[in-house]
Amino acid sequence: MPKIIIVEDDPAIREELALLLENEGYETAAVTGFDHVPDQVRAAAPDLILLDLGLPGRDGMSLCADIRKNSRTPIIFVTSRDSASDELRALSLGGDDYITKPYNIPVLLARIRAVLRRAGGPAEPDTLEAGGLTLHLTRGTVSAGGRSAELTRNELKILAHLMARAGQIVSRADLIDALWDSQIYIDDNTLSVNMTRLRARLEEIGLPGFIKTRRGMGYQL
Amino acid sequence: MRLREFISDRLNRLLIQVICVAVAAFFLRATGTQPGVLAVLLLALLLVFCGVQLSDFFRQRARLRELEAVLDGLDQKYLFAECAPAPKNLYERRLFELTRRAGRAMTGAVSDARAAQREYRDYVEGWVHEIKTPITAARLICRELDSGVRRRLTGELARIEEHVERALFYARAESPERDCVIRQTQLSQLVAQAVGEHRALLIQSGVRVETDGLDRSVYTDGKWAAFILGQLLQNAARYRGPEPVVTISARPLGRQVQLTVADNGLGIPAQELPRVFDRGFTGSNGRARGGSTGIGLYLCKKLAVFLELGLEISSEEGAGTVVTLTFPAREAL
Repeated sequence: MPKIIIVEDDPAIREELALLLENEGYETAAVTGFDHVPDQVRAAAPDLILLDLGLPGRDGMSLCADIRKNSRTPIIFVTSRDSASDELRALSLGGDDYITKPYNIPVLLARIRAVLRRAGGPAEPDTLEAGGLTLHLTRGTVSAGGRSAELTRNELKILAHLMARAGQIVSRADLIDALWDSQIYIDDNTLSVNMTRLRARLEEIGLPGFIKTRRGMGYQL
Repeated sequence: MRLREFISDRLNRLLIQVICVAVAAFFLRATGTQPGVLAVLLLALLLVFCGVQLSDFFRQRARLRELEAVLDGLDQKYLFAECAPAPKNLYERRLFELTRRAGRAMTGAVSDARAAQREYRDYVEGWVHEIKTPITAARLICRELDSGVRRRLTGELARIEEHVERALFYARAESPERDCVIRQTQLSQLVAQAVGEHRALLIQSGVRVETDGLDRSVYTDGKWAAFILGQLLQNAARYRGPEPVVTISARPLGRQVQLTVADNGLGIPAQELPRVFDRGFTGSNGRARGGSTGIGLYLCKKLAVFLELGLEISSEEGAGTVVTLTFPAREAL
C-alpha cells in the first residue's frame, strides 16, 4: 500500500485529501507544523509527496530542492499558483508533476497513479474479470466461455467502469462523468446508444442480460 | 509653419518698424535730404529688414521641424523635454525648462498609475490564488454528499471558478508579456484541458463534444489558448439548442493550423456579430438568458491579438456558431 505524505497548510484540504486518499486505498501522513519539513518527510518515508507551493515560512520550491538533495521520492506539486514560470521552475527543481487547484478529483487520482507507476509501483492490471467475463483492456476485447468480441473505445470504457464496480449500482450520471475522465465527451443519448451496442456484443458471446438496468437508479452487473 | 502664419504672427512688430521708417523718411525729407539719396536709403533698409525676417523665418521653421522629428520618433511622447536637442537661446531654455517640469510631473503621474495598476493586478492574482484554496476544499467536501446535491453544488462551484478564472485573465491581459510562455503544445492536450475545466457545465447542459484531427501540435501558450477555448465552450453550453453538440476540429492551413469550434446552438443575429468582441457587449441572447457579462469574448480577442492568433466568428441565427482559431506557423514567432 503506497504511502503518500501531504504537505499542505490549509487544514480543510489537508484533512479532506487524506480522507480521499485513504478511501482510495493509500496510506497517508500529513505535515502539520512547517518547521523542518524535509526532516519530517524523511522520517515518514513516503512513496509520494504532495507538496503545496505557498506554505507558511518557506516556499515549496526551496523545500523541493532540499528534499531532492538526498531523496528520489516522487513529488507532485499541488498549488493554486498557475503561472507557466512557476510550473517550469517547479519541474526543473525535480518535481514529477504539477497540478493546479482547484483540481478535478479523478484527474488528481489519475496523476497520482501515473507518478507512482513511473516510480516503479505495481502496474495497473491489464484484465478485469467479473461474473465469468474477462475484459482485456489493451487489446480491447471481451471473452467469456471461449467466445470473444471486439469492443469500441466507448464500449470498453463503459464496461471497464462497470466491471471495476461489479455488484454496485452505477448511475448514468456517474458513468458519463467517468467517460469524460477518459476524454470521451458523450451526452445521455449517446450513452444509451453505446449501452445498446455493448449489450448486443455481450449477447453475441452468450451473456444476455449481463448488464442489468435498475430503473431510476442506473446500471448494475 | 508657413510664411503667411509667420508674418501675421509678427504683424504688430512689422507695422511699428514701417511706421518708424516712414517717420524717419519724413523727417529726413523735411530736413532737406535729396529724394534720390532717400530712395536709396529706404531701399537698402527694406532689403536688410526683409533679409532679417526671412532668415528668422527659415531658422524658426528648421528648428520646429527638428523638434517635431524628435517628438515623432519618441514612443513615450511625454519624455519629449528630456530628449529634445539643447536649447539655443535664453527664451528657448526657459521654455524647455517649463516643458521639462511639466513632463516630469507627467512621468511621475504615469509611473504612479503604472505602479498602482501593477499592485492591483498583483492583488487580484493573489486574491484569485487565495480563493482557489477554499474552492478546492469545497470540492473535496462535496465528494461526501449524495449524488444529486453533489452535482448541483459542483455545478455552482464550477460557475464560481469560471468567474474567478475570468478575473485572473482579465488582470493578466493588462500586461500579458509577464507570464506568456510559447511552447510546442499538443492540440489534443489543449482541448482536454479546456473541456476538463468546464466539464461540470458541459455535462449539466447535456452537451456532447466531438473532436477531430487534434493529433497536431501548435506553438502557443497552452494556458492562454486553453482559456480562450474554455470561453468558447462556455458560450456553446450557455447558448445551446436542443441536443447540443460541440465539434472541435483542427486542420492544417499552409504552415498554420486552424482550430474550429462549432456548435449547433442559438446562433448570433447578423447585426450583433460585428460587436461580439466589444467589451461589455451582451447580445439579445445574453440579455434574454441573463448572467452574461460581455467580458468573455472581449478577453478572448485581447489575448488572441497578443498571442498572434487569428480569431474569427461566423454564425447563423438558429443554426449555430463557428469560431475559428488560427495558430501561427512556428517561424512567425
